[in-house]
Amino acid sequence: MRVLLIEDDRALGTAIRDQIAADGHSVDWMSRLDEAGDAFASAAYDLVLLDLMLPDGLGIPFLKALRARGNATPVIILTALDQVSDRISGLNAGADDYMVKPFDLDELSARIGSVARRYTGNPNPIVMLGPLEIDLAARSVRLNGKPVGLTAREWVLFEAFVQRPGQLLSKAQLEERLYSFDQEVDSNAIEVHVSRLRKKLGAHVIETERGLGYRLGRP
Amino acid sequence: MKMMSSLQARLAIAVGVSITILWLAAAVVTAHRLGRDMEEVYDDGLKATAERILPIARHDLREGHDRRDTSDDDEMDDAGHGARPEREARYGEDVTFVLRDRQGRVLTGSKGTDASVFPPFEKQGFSRTDTHRLYYAASADGNLIIVVAEPLDHRRELSQKMLLGLMLPLLIVIPLSLVAILFAVRISLRPVRDLKEGLARRGAQDLSPLIAAGLPRELLPISAGINQLLARLKAAFDAERTFAANVAHELRTPVAGAIAQAQRIRSETKEEQTAQRTKEIETSLKRLMRMAEKLMQLARAEGGRLRADVPSDLREVVQMIVKEFERAGQGRIDLTMPESPVMSSLDPDAVGILARNLIENALKHGVPGGPVEVTLDERGLFSVANDGVVLPAEVMDRLMRRFERGNLKTVGSGVGLAIVKAIADRVGAAVDVVSPRRGKGEGIEVRVSLPVT
Repeated sequence: MRVLLIEDDRALGTAIRDQIAADGHSVDWMSRLDEAGDAFASAAYDLVLLDLMLPDGLGIPFLKALRARGNATPVIILTALDQVSDRISGLNAGADDYMVKPFDLDELSARIGSVARRYTGNPNPIVMLGPLEIDLAARSVRLNGKPVGLTAREWVLFEAFVQRPGQLLSKAQLEERLYSFDQEVDSNAIEVHVSRLRKKLGAHVIETERGLGYRLGRP
Repeated sequence: MKMMSSLQARLAIAVGVSITILWLAAAVVTAHRLGRDMEEVYDDGLKATAERILPIARHDLREGHDRRDTSDDDEMDDAGHGARPEREARYGEDVTFVLRDRQGRVLTGSKGTDASVFPPFEKQGFSRTDTHRLYYAASADGNLIIVVAEPLDHRRELSQKMLLGLMLPLLIVIPLSLVAILFAVRISLRPVRDLKEGLARRGAQDLSPLIAAGLPRELLPISAGINQLLARLKAAFDAERTFAANVAHELRTPVAGAIAQAQRIRSETKEEQTAQRTKEIETSLKRLMRMAEKLMQLARAEGGRLRADVPSDLREVVQMIVKEFERAGQGRIDLTMPESPVMSSLDPDAVGILARNLIENALKHGVPGGPVEVTLDERGLFSVANDGVVLPAEVMDRLMRRFERGNLKTVGSGVGLAIVKAIADRVGAAVDVVSPRRGKGEGIEVRVSLPVT
């Protein structure tokens, strides 16, 4: 997934960014709302992590404006405001989840996964696909009952296909999902990851539509 | 004293008493002046009588009638003198007089006149005895002296009648005017009463300004003053809220950053010892955070605004807090709530702090893994119960005693209940600690009756 992190505290921001990146997502980290607005204009995000008190404004009006424009990107609020009324106003503004600082990074990862699953229309974390048993919450795959080890990048790529069965995903879309603005992308990075997934999970797990992109196959 | 504290009573009494005194004073002055005037009129009458009788009597004497008249011998004259009724008519019925010669011998007098009441002649003009008012007049040659008398009783009787005539209407007018004053005062003070009742009716949570329309000029400064105070109170509450939010942000964000960094190190390192150390850092930071959190909650409970402008459903708050604990995986919570909304004017944040602390305590002190029973009923009774040890009475006492700010050792242990108590006290809710809990031989139940609308 491509995640937009809006957080002005350096220490917290780097830790969150590293955590999400370690989960295999690509992260763009902005510390101001105006920068976040620019990022929205230039990339499609799968998830936004939003702090509520930023140097150039408050997060709630930003979220409301986002929803008013018809943008339905999942938003998890990360805030120091812990009162019941803050929480209610955050959820009423259109947030999907609300986490009060300080929080555990593992819990953040779990919540990101559950919000993402809710958005792909399949809240059930276990997906059966031929001989494959995929646990989206635990980020694990079993082939004929035996666990298969995937790297974070491979997992995120595979998850993108599992969450959109039958849908054609272009190379550019996949790159965007895997890499943030500041990362150099090798021209054949996606091909490399796809071939590794085929090697681990079966040759037909991902089908290639020549010149168009990839889609989930029938292993 | 209590009576005098009422503006209405004070005004009515002051106006009533002064009106009464003024009425009475006016009556007394009038009576006094009238009395003097009447005295003059009577004297004039007396003088006129004397001057009228003198020539008639002189004429009678010159005609040679008997010198000795009725004064000495009534019967004697009865038959022989037809002049007598005639003379009575000539002198006037109610006049008492005596006619003397220069030597003081009585020549004639009115009927039944006792000459002794008339002192001898001294000078012309008025004089007075104990019983009579007298007027002396002498004829032009000085041979005849007349003295006319009028009983003082007669005059006194007349003046008493006059005084009574003056006072009688007052006896009616004064009570009537007192009643009129009372009504006037009541009606004029209606805006004051309305203002007072308006203030009494508004609840503690209502900080909206008073409506000044229809108030008399004298009350406008008061309503303006109250509105100014209300606005300042609202501003103070808002400032407190903003300050609390800023403190929370300034405190939580760096701690969150440090904890997150420690957790990153722990997942990135392969060294057991480093992982252990970061775990220690994390634990310390979390303890620090809990303590700061409790202090912020206590500050909020003691100084913040606990009533909201609009009522809200207590169920939503309780539901949210319980869900929070469940998500954090801190234990089992059995929640029971009514079907219909439980509306309360309490600030949802204050209710949240209260509920959070009670549940936190129950999870901490209850049987590990045992359920915490959280109940809210439609009358606003909020109860948190857990199985576990029975609390001795003196510990219960200590728990209920107010948390002392200086003693930071109690932070984290007793402060939760102190926060609950501070909120409950300020909103007028009763807190009951029941141990062992009802129907069981063990455990603790804490009940707070939250005010509902």
